[in-house]
Amino acid sequence: MIPLVSLVDAALHFLDPAVLARVLFDGLAKASIYVMIAAGLTLIFGLMGVLNFAHGSLTAIGAYLGGLVMVTFAASASGNVGRIALFFVAIVVVFALLTAFGGAMEVSLIRPLYDRPPLYQILLTFGITLVLEELLRMILLFYDIQPSTDWLAAQGTRPEVISKTHDVFGLGVEGLEVFQILLGVAITAGVWLFLTRTRYGLYIRAGSEDGEMAQALGVNVHQAFTVVFGVGVGITGVAGALLMWDSAWAASINLGAEVLLPAFVVVIVGGLGTFRGTVVAGVLVGFVDAFTTELFTSDIVGFSALPELFIFLILVGTLVLRPQGLFGVEEVGGH
Amino acid sequence: MSHLLELADVHTYYGESHILEGVSLHVDPGETVALVGRNGVGKTTTLRTALQLTPPRNGTVTYDGEDVTGSETHEVAQAGMGWIPEDRRMFSQLTVDENIQVAVKDSERVDAHLDRAFEAFPDLREFRNRKAGNLSGGQQQMVAIARGLVGENDLLLVDEPSEGLAPQIVEDVANALRAVSEDASLLLVEQNFPLAMDLADRFYLMDHGEVVHSDTTEGVSADDEEIRRYLT
Repeated sequence: MIPLVSLVDAALHFLDPAVLARVLFDGLAKASIYVMIAAGLTLIFGLMGVLNFAHGSLTAIGAYLGGLVMVTFAASASGNVGRIALFFVAIVVVFALLTAFGGAMEVSLIRPLYDRPPLYQILLTFGITLVLEELLRMILLFYDIQPSTDWLAAQGTRPEVISKTHDVFGLGVEGLEVFQILLGVAITAGVWLFLTRTRYGLYIRAGSEDGEMAQALGVNVHQAFTVVFGVGVGITGVAGALLMWDSAWAASINLGAEVLLPAFVVVIVGGLGTFRGTVVAGVLVGFVDAFTTELFTSDIVGFSALPELFIFLILVGTLVLRPQGLFGVEEVGGH
Repeated sequence: MSHLLELADVHTYYGESHILEGVSLHVDPGETVALVGRNGVGKTTTLRTALQLTPPRNGTVTYDGEDVTGSETHEVAQAGMGWIPEDRRMFSQLTVDENIQVAVKDSERVDAHLDRAFEAFPDLREFRNRKAGNLSGGQQQMVAIARGLVGENDLLLVDEPSEGLAPQIVEDVANALRAVSEDASLLLVEQNFPLAMDLADRFYLMDHGEVVHSDTTEGVSADDEEIRRYLT
């Protein structure tokens, strides 16, 4: 039982402008991360109806691939500008490789299962996770990188401007958070434009609602789904590359498991088949995470495991009150 | 004589149930052909078989001189066969504009085709940015016909266009179909027998997965003994 006086303390704590500003800023940064780790999943699960349990391990592969590019070329790219430029090279490489991998995975493994019950997809993608993780572990051990702890060498490639806490009007602003927010906004805008402003995006939205009708209008729905799956996996990898720099996540084999559940939470809370819902849910989860982290790790209430619990409470609340999700439409998504 | 669409002794199954038991029919360029018969005799399945949505197990479907049996549906559609399906099948989350854009096959000239659709259906213009799922049945039917129009199809498969619509709206739909039949052949499934006879040049009467009678529509009425037997 929390004494009443602590509740008053907590309220007063959050009324401090400096605390409030920090929580809001943390919330934005966390929101960006949640939207990014869920963006690939919402394309694949939300629009195509494929339960991709390999999502987590693909994020981890993205983190290691991105880290590989950074660690390999860090020596020749010094300074803030050089490192950030190198990071953009890294995410282009990660996106290209994982998009190709995702496309191949869809054509060879996922496509034959569309007409089967979802259990087949769950078993298949879960199996793919096991294979990918073991392969990754073997490669890491071969190169003497400890697979189950954070890859610090990759984190060490952060440029100074991103590692530092900057003083802005007396508030401490972490460079990494600014970078995460900017990248999150850019990727969200990119996916949004892809879905709403390109012909392919139109085919995908039409095909995900009624694949048969789209085909009868001349749309090659198979090809559109291969592209969506590829792009979804590519974005997942890019999210991983960004997490590699963040010590709260970092590149390790465990990143897969850490990412998978929150990503599903965000997609389900937002609603299947709606990217807008995923963005809103990501922001919601991000702010709740930031707020509860501040509350439960401050001096007021010390209980550092609670923020994670709150994320799942959002999921439970959504499923009870609005099972189709915030922006979901019943019977959309899937085949 | 080369037909635009020809089904030759087509047998189609849903799982193990034998739906079409040897259907043969054809549609020539410029014709409107009606497919009539009671519910459940295989009219819709005949259209689905033509489009390869439900490919036949035996028999062949020829379109524009090519054997398309077993092809992908999107390839058949790209060859110029359009579908205006039962229940209209709107992409309900897409706007009217987007519904029509999906159907445009020539991606270089999307805007020109959109303009053409709104010229043909001026009433749709004011709804163009509304989600198709929020339109009335009659408006949705116009969008479905507009999708057939902008696809530059030589043949439109039209399934129950008047179903569930008020009589005044049915007249509008009939006029729209007459207009599109200027440019394309129509294979029309229609429960409203007088309407079907009015729109079509010829008709096929189906029963139990087979064509039992075919004739021109001139002077035919539902009171004819042969027809009444299969419709009531």
